[in-house]
Amino acid sequence: MTFATRRLRKIVGALPPGITLVRAEDFKEWQLDIRVLDDNPIYKGKTYRLSFKFNINYPIDAPIVTFVEAPGITIPMHPHIYSNGIICLDLLSSGNGWSPVQSVESVCMSIQSMLTGNTRNERPEGDADFVRSGNTNPRNIRFVYDDPTV
Amino acid sequence: MWWSVWDRLNILIFARLWCRCFQASDFIGAERFYTRAIIHDATNPAYFTNRALSRLKLSLWEAVIDDCQHALDLLPTSLKAYTYLGQAQLALDRPNEALSSSQQAYKLAIAVRSPSAATIAGTVLQAKKRKWEVSEDRRIMEEGGLLGKLVKMLTEEGEKEVSAVETQWSLGKEEGRVHKEHRHEEGGEWNKNREGDTQALEAAVWEEIEARKHSTRERINLLKDVFARADPAKYKPRIVPDHLIDNITFCIMHDPVITKHGQSYERATILEHLRRSKTDPLTREPLTEEDLRPNLALRVACEEFMRENGWAVDY
Repeated sequence: MTFATRRLRKIVGALPPGITLVRAEDFKEWQLDIRVLDDNPIYKGKTYRLSFKFNINYPIDAPIVTFVEAPGITIPMHPHIYSNGIICLDLLSSGNGWSPVQSVESVCMSIQSMLTGNTRNERPEGDADFVRSGNTNPRNIRFVYDDPTV
Repeated sequence: MWWSVWDRLNILIFARLWCRCFQASDFIGAERFYTRAIIHDATNPAYFTNRALSRLKLSLWEAVIDDCQHALDLLPTSLKAYTYLGQAQLALDRPNEALSSSQQAYKLAIAVRSPSAATIAGTVLQAKKRKWEVSEDRRIMEEGGLLGKLVKMLTEEGEKEVSAVETQWSLGKEEGRVHKEHRHEEGGEWNKNREGDTQALEAAVWEEIEARKHSTRERINLLKDVFARADPAKYKPRIVPDHLIDNITFCIMHDPVITKHGQSYERATILEHLRRSKTDPLTREPLTEEDLRPNLALRVACEEFMRENGWAVDY
């Protein structure tokens, strides 16, 4: 049993409010649904789906976390979330952002609060170009974190 | 001059071929190449450790031990030799030897900052767990009683199953040999195929035996668990206290180090993290290898817990 599977096996238990496990058949990809718990009008009453992809070095390596579409589920509007589901969040970047003591729950909660605190119903600048470039692996992207308020 | 050029050429060819074999998972081929390399030059410890690795992949445990001992005669500080030696000894169910070899490997790995330290730490823990299992079994047997008798029965039944498979296999082999002699005239190609068949069959038999052994172990563990639960005086829920667990891998620690912020981690894990990011995982403040100190008291606590609770390795 690798460290990755050991880590993941242990969290299948109580999840924080607003977070539900949708798919965790193996230890390669998990899907979780998240809801925003307050009355933020942008996200009220909606559920979004996150995909976590783990490699064998998880949790030393960061998981790849993106929003995915599903019947009745869209990609949330947010100035740091591209319309193809890629999330621009420093704690998910493999450099100094990720920390191996983070877990699936803590990442979900960070993303939850990233949505809760947002007031702008818009996509990041250059969203259309970015999506057209066809880059779907967040690892290959170098984000510039220039907005300390998020 | 002539010879040294010839040598170098040979080594290059060997290295190239060997790589190709390993990539294709052709461990039999790799093993043969290294046998040839050793015939060519029996003073190079790397040839022995590389052959040991191929043999490890082929589950030829005794041969692995042989190669590692040769390598250690040539190079007493060979990290690879101690690593493979420990793994082979564990596979042969010699937990005491496996523990001392893998502890030696671990020391060397830490000294040279090898990334394989985490894997070796895993072997150390597995050896400790196996030692605990052996002493638990002895205790149960000595206490006698129903559980001891049942475990003995299950063990014997398992052994019988394995030897039945083995007998069947050796009968089949006899028959195969007779066939082969009969058909000898029909040409070499057929014989070659036959050899391939034999290899595949041998692998299947090996797998069958391993499966039987595994199910015997499972049955015995289940039985022990049932008995433990039925005896509330002795039964304790199997929980490893949080302070003995590495916060990154969630495994019980075997060589804990403490950061300047007071949090302890398994040494191999935190070093792996520091290779990627020189920050404290909890506080994200700068953290370097020099800031880590061994946490001796915690180390003793982990060791003591492991002595009584070998199951903690798979917790």
